[in-house]
Amino acid sequence: MINARVGFYLALRQIRRASLWTTGLIVFVMVLTFLNLVVVSGILVGLIQGAVDATRARYTSDVIISALPDKDYIENSQNIITIVSTIPQIDAFTPRYRESGVLEANYKTRRETDKPNTAGGQVVGIDPRFEHEVTGLADGIIEGSFLEPGDFDQVVLGHYLLKQYLPIETPAFSTLENVGVGTKIRLRVGDVMREVTVKGILFAKVDEISLSAFMVDAQLRGLIGRSDGNVDEIAIKVRDGVDPGVVRDALVRQGVGGYAKVQTFEDAQPKFLKDMIKTFSMLGAAFSSIGLVVASITVFIVIFINAFTRRKYIGILKGIGINGRAIEWSYVFQSIFYAVIGSAIGIAVVYALLVPFFAANPINFPFSDGILVAPLDATVFRMGLLVCATVIAGYIPAWMIIRKNTLDSILGRN
Amino acid sequence: MIEVRALTKTFVTGELITPVLKGIDLTVKTGEFIAIMGRSGAGKSTLMYHMSLLDVPTSGSIFIDGVDALSMNESEKVRFRLRTFGYVFQEYALLPELNAIENVAVPLLMQGLDRASAETRAADALIKVGLEKRLGSLPSKLSGGEQQRVAIARAVAHTPSILFADEPTANLDRESSASVLDIFQELHADGQTIIMVTHEDEYGALAERIVRIDDGKIVDTTQASHARSRRTHAQP
Repeated sequence: MINARVGFYLALRQIRRASLWTTGLIVFVMVLTFLNLVVVSGILVGLIQGAVDATRARYTSDVIISALPDKDYIENSQNIITIVSTIPQIDAFTPRYRESGVLEANYKTRRETDKPNTAGGQVVGIDPRFEHEVTGLADGIIEGSFLEPGDFDQVVLGHYLLKQYLPIETPAFSTLENVGVGTKIRLRVGDVMREVTVKGILFAKVDEISLSAFMVDAQLRGLIGRSDGNVDEIAIKVRDGVDPGVVRDALVRQGVGGYAKVQTFEDAQPKFLKDMIKTFSMLGAAFSSIGLVVASITVFIVIFINAFTRRKYIGILKGIGINGRAIEWSYVFQSIFYAVIGSAIGIAVVYALLVPFFAANPINFPFSDGILVAPLDATVFRMGLLVCATVIAGYIPAWMIIRKNTLDSILGRN
Repeated sequence: MIEVRALTKTFVTGELITPVLKGIDLTVKTGEFIAIMGRSGAGKSTLMYHMSLLDVPTSGSIFIDGVDALSMNESEKVRFRLRTFGYVFQEYALLPELNAIENVAVPLLMQGLDRASAETRAADALIKVGLEKRLGSLPSKLSGGEQQRVAIARAVAHTPSILFADEPTANLDRESSASVLDIFQELHADGQTIIMVTHEDEYGALAERIVRIDDGKIVDTTQASHARSRRTHAQP
């Protein structure tokens, strides 16, 4: 205890009276290392998290009810909708119809020998008001306008169905050429074909949206001949602060699980997304560990030079009866100081600057709007990691110098 | 009291064998002020390092206040040095980031005093050596003489049984050297045992007894009353 107390006494004064530039430089290295630890993996994970968030916001919402794997649609949908509307934690919901369909653009102008310009996708029937209330889909309109209740023979197209937004051409995937707002296209669902007008174009970095054509639910219901009121999915938005798992469990308890799959947005995440998050976390950790090694080496060198140039003083301290452990403690405390101050500044930069900045200005990736993911528990863990690595890096050189023979240190003998 | 018996020290470097101390017998009584003198390389500093337990002899024995000092392990020696000895080194050896009070307080903290008590006692020690106006000064702001006085305050603040001084005036001008020696004489007058290594006759003569070493052996011991006039052969 006395050793730690004396060590703290020495460390405090050494830090207080050390060169401001040297201390500033070491702390700066610590800040950069901390940011490297948190931000690299945070951005990598944030790329996927951006996609997850977008899927939640625009498609699944908080809870999604979908057809059982062996069913074409949700049986007993009307009863389920009644149950959904009675759960108080639910803020809004939107039932949807969903069928595969083919869109054709050049059917009026092409000759017999020309290849039809088609694009495959999902045709989604929605109530525009309910849908916008849950997913805010209308906010994604980049051309034209969103659907209104009562619209007939009008569709809104996801932007990836159009060549001007996805200029790639492969045999496996085709897009519509020369199609914009007001263009008439042909829509085939099953055996039914209908000419519709493009009312708007919808931008979203969610495949379920960007590769879909939206129309008013009443018309799609007629096209697919679904007269029993059964829908294909119901997206549910819960009230603020409500855990989606609570709503899922409530629905399952009321028997919805017997007719449909009830999932929170997390449950509904494809496994590859979860795997990607794990992989990116590991990659981030690998990159960050290089930074950690660099920081450790920096502290090692700083403490080693400090202790080596002061070995005469250290020898004299030992000579006058100061325990070597007290001197080691002084270097350990100095290392802790550098790491804690560096991390504290790093935390302030991350949470006061970077997280809000990336939230307001996401990184524009083709498949997501990348944000910075920095959960507090993981950040604190990384701070602990940095402090531990720094303490070890500071202790070793101090120990190396202090274990030297006292008289040799005093006399400057090697 | 320190009793040194048949003390030898031989340095071995590869095939080179260098005997530095060749059977030293010396007794330093409590309250005595002795000066160990000799030409450079005679072995005077080596003898002091052994008496102050900073080095381990090749053979011989050292008893300090009746305790067999060579039977102690390293950590016991560290504690013993802290409790029993005070050191003044040639190059002051003050920690540059600590001011005068803090430099003096460190050994007191190590002895278990709380910070306030340690710093109060440190201030008292500094006042005794005439540095009442320099208590908060960093070593870089002190002259050589002032730094050495801080070192003396550090060495005596915990009231050690024995004060060792290794060439304490070597880096000082005449005025500062005289000031340091004055302090030593005052401490001696108060009953402090002092063992000082010096190569300067003028300062050695201020001691109660002069022990001259040459080629690793005590060749002469002179009592203070005869220091300037008579030399006798070693009578340890």
